[in-house]
Amino acid sequence: MTTTTAETTTAAPEIVTGTAAPRPTGWLSWLTTTDHKRIGIMYLVASWMFLVLGGVEALLIRLQLAVPDNTLLSPQTYNALFTMHGTTMIFLFLMPMIAGIANYLVPLMIGARDMAFPKLNALSLWLFIAGGVVFYGSLLFSPAECGWTCYAPLSETAFSPTNGVDSWIFLIHLTGIASFIGALNLFVTITNMRAPGMSWSRIPLFVWTMLTQAILLIISLPVIAGAVTLLLTDRHFGTHFFDPSNGGSPLLWQHLFWFFGHPEVYILVLPGFGIISEILPVFSRKPIFGYKAIVAATLGIAVIGTLVWAHHMFTVPLPFFLLIFFMLGTYLVAIPTGVKIFNWIFTMWRGAIEFPVAMLYSVGFLATFLLGGITGIFLATFPVDWQLHDTYFVVAHFHYTIVGGAVFALMAGLYYWFPKMTGRMMNEKLGKISFGFTLGGFWITFLVQHSAGLSGMPRRVYEYADVNNLGLYNMISTIGSFILALGVLLTIINIVTSLKNGAKSGPDPWRGNTLEWFTPSPPPLNNFDVVPRVRSVEPMQDIRRQIERQDRVGDEAGVVARS
Amino acid sequence: MTSRPAKQTFLFAFILVAALLIPASAAMAGVIAPESGGGTPNAEGIRSLYLLIFGIGCVVFFGVGGLLIYTLVRFRSRRGSVAVQAHGNTRLEVAWTVGAAMILVLISVVTFLKLDQIKNPPNSSADGLSTPMNVAFNTGPAKPALPPNGHSLNIDVNGQQYIWRYTYADTDTNNLNNVFAYEQMVVPTDTTVSLTIRAQDVQHSWWIPSLGGKFDAVPGYTNYTWFKITKPGTYNGQCAELCGRGHATMIASVKAVSPAEFKVWYAAQKLAITSAERQAAAARNALVAKDAAVLKAAAPSAAAPMAAPARPAPVAMADGKTLFVAGVPATGALACGSCHTLSAAGTNGAVGPNLDVVLKTWNAAMIREAILYPNKMIAKGYAANIMPANYGATLTKAQLDVLVKYVDDSVHGK
Repeated sequence: MTTTTAETTTAAPEIVTGTAAPRPTGWLSWLTTTDHKRIGIMYLVASWMFLVLGGVEALLIRLQLAVPDNTLLSPQTYNALFTMHGTTMIFLFLMPMIAGIANYLVPLMIGARDMAFPKLNALSLWLFIAGGVVFYGSLLFSPAECGWTCYAPLSETAFSPTNGVDSWIFLIHLTGIASFIGALNLFVTITNMRAPGMSWSRIPLFVWTMLTQAILLIISLPVIAGAVTLLLTDRHFGTHFFDPSNGGSPLLWQHLFWFFGHPEVYILVLPGFGIISEILPVFSRKPIFGYKAIVAATLGIAVIGTLVWAHHMFTVPLPFFLLIFFMLGTYLVAIPTGVKIFNWIFTMWRGAIEFPVAMLYSVGFLATFLLGGITGIFLATFPVDWQLHDTYFVVAHFHYTIVGGAVFALMAGLYYWFPKMTGRMMNEKLGKISFGFTLGGFWITFLVQHSAGLSGMPRRVYEYADVNNLGLYNMISTIGSFILALGVLLTIINIVTSLKNGAKSGPDPWRGNTLEWFTPSPPPLNNFDVVPRVRSVEPMQDIRRQIERQDRVGDEAGVVARS
Repeated sequence: MTSRPAKQTFLFAFILVAALLIPASAAMAGVIAPESGGGTPNAEGIRSLYLLIFGIGCVVFFGVGGLLIYTLVRFRSRRGSVAVQAHGNTRLEVAWTVGAAMILVLISVVTFLKLDQIKNPPNSSADGLSTPMNVAFNTGPAKPALPPNGHSLNIDVNGQQYIWRYTYADTDTNNLNNVFAYEQMVVPTDTTVSLTIRAQDVQHSWWIPSLGGKFDAVPGYTNYTWFKITKPGTYNGQCAELCGRGHATMIASVKAVSPAEFKVWYAAQKLAITSAERQAAAARNALVAKDAAVLKAAAPSAAAPMAAPARPAPVAMADGKTLFVAGVPATGALACGSCHTLSAAGTNGAVGPNLDVVLKTWNAAMIREAILYPNKMIAKGYAANIMPANYGATLTKAQLDVLVKYVDDSVHGK
């Protein structure tokens, strides 16, 4: 056969078949696996177990706050609960769930057969699980009561004499090392193991966000590791880094913590942005609008987001010019974020939009994150922040950004990629009911918390007086939280039942754009027998088009079309 | 076919939103904006700045949200609908980048315009309390914002687990004789009140919503704020930074009264504090006298069997214990034992920490430091300024050496 261009010779589409090796079975094969897909699934299962724990903690918090002057929980229990809730949701649910999805999908999306360092990958998983066990082990003695921020000197031995803070420190160390190794692994994988033809401008947007997130982790994790090490030596080895009575500085802790803590927000939401950028084009049946603008916005958010940490500290004694600097810097983050939201809306504009559950969660993400972003501008304006800081307005704001920006996007990703991971579809009907409860419950719970904060309710209080309608706001919020919990529970039921009873999905149930849909579902151990050459951001579209073209040519020539 | 239910859904959603918004706008101010009401310019400034950003935020939220809903409804997949394969539009990208930037420039400009009102205190009004030039409590490198004429009523706000202590500045430099109060601060109206905010143990945050923003009390640092109340009344708030198990109950309130009433309150408070201190001093002196009597009764009986010619007891050696139990009444050095427990001396005072316990790991140099400068290292559970800080003046160097050696030996069982 003669060829005129290189295009027609190279990428004859081949649907791969998982014939390479029989898949090992048994629990030992899971414990010892270095397969990125199995590690990804174990990350996901473990993270959802922690989601249940963190969710129960949240419901207990809401029960205590349901009515004014409640005596259901003691202050000690309450403080321990919100410390565990925040820490669990960030370090034991969101971070590992993102790690799980990234582990599973990044190699598939870039056409690689595994991560660059499979054994390190397994080490990451087990360190994360060790961190969770160490932290929850403190339930057996006395959990930390200093909040997920563990501000010194409250977290020093003089004021937190029990070992709960130490188990929190070890959780940060263990999950931090896990994330750091995982980030290095992802960075090396993405930069070195892409399919032929996948240049920087053809990398799927989810992979771009994971690359950016890996860089943020590599920059910020050593700082928090150092900070908690200083706290550990303060607590046990006689140093005074954060002890003001011996020349230490509590503000040092805050700067170190938030130098990690603020990039952490983007570490949580950037992967969500990536997931949304994958799902919206598929169900709008359109290419992503402004690929380069979205990539630039991702990098811009990461760069600016690393330089604005002190907007968490507008109420401590800071020089005036720093207040101005961190206010204007934080405003700047809004620009690339706004660019992204408009690009997402214009991806759907003039499309043919379908609404499976994954798309519903994506839309829920857009609406929720929009409000979270706008309240961010209130908080960035430091005189306004002087009123709103550390109130329920802030609690509402960060739940809108993190649940809106990260959790809803991850739920969308779960419904979107579940067929790829299991070979079965999730139940759409149950999924839609679950979505309704989750989104509705979320808005009922958290919208009213803005008002609670504006009416003078600080965060982290175990009781409040019934003034300024606080009783009403909190009752609404508590009712909403149980609706939200019901929504999540329905999704868990959906996952469990669909594993057995879901319809067979086939390799590409959504007519996706990216390479993970090129392999069978679930993918074989080696992912791809043949890695296709990538010619655009949407390699699967190219492949489908080429199949159509060849079928047509074949038919016209009177040759039997490929079966 | 599909357009009618969609329209109905749309209408229904609209009515639902309207139904939610109308009672919201009619209800209390705390629903959509921070509290104010004391008439202090900083809180009013923050509130109006908030409302402006709220207005812009509403336009953006309903504008972008409306565009989102329109897109979802208008371009949902129907039979025969075709997706337009557009990859982007540079002009649009530039447009919304610039648009977003312009909104932020607008907010920045308004913030800078409002900043003077929020940040800088005005002079007290003519009918306010006439206050002397500030004798500030400030210790940090940062300076408080003062009114143009430099006159304000300065109050030191000290956060402690779990109560606020307020110390009113006066014209002398001795901070131990000042008027103070706990939990409720009484201030005159129409008077600029400047606050010096500090913390004694962990971080706290000073916040009275109606009187402006919150300012953290960070141990080792000094923070500042101010207010100038025009309407008499009581304004409530509470600690806004997690400070431990009692955080929720660490409440604060500011009671604004007319300058005349304030003067009455201030004088009464001063009188009450002075008389309470006098009573305490009398009780202390009684304790000292009692201890001295006990010692006097004990000493001769111990010396009697010796039957040697009366000789003054060797002051240097014998009197570590005496110094500890009786102090030196002549110079005003109070007895350690009346406040501290020390098993070797047989004292069981409970005002200060138990020395058998807290000094276990200390050496002689640290003990000397703690006697001379008691506020440098405060034992857990005890407040500063309880132990007299005058031992450097009331004990001679020899007496101090003896006392330190005695305490050191006693707690280490020598």
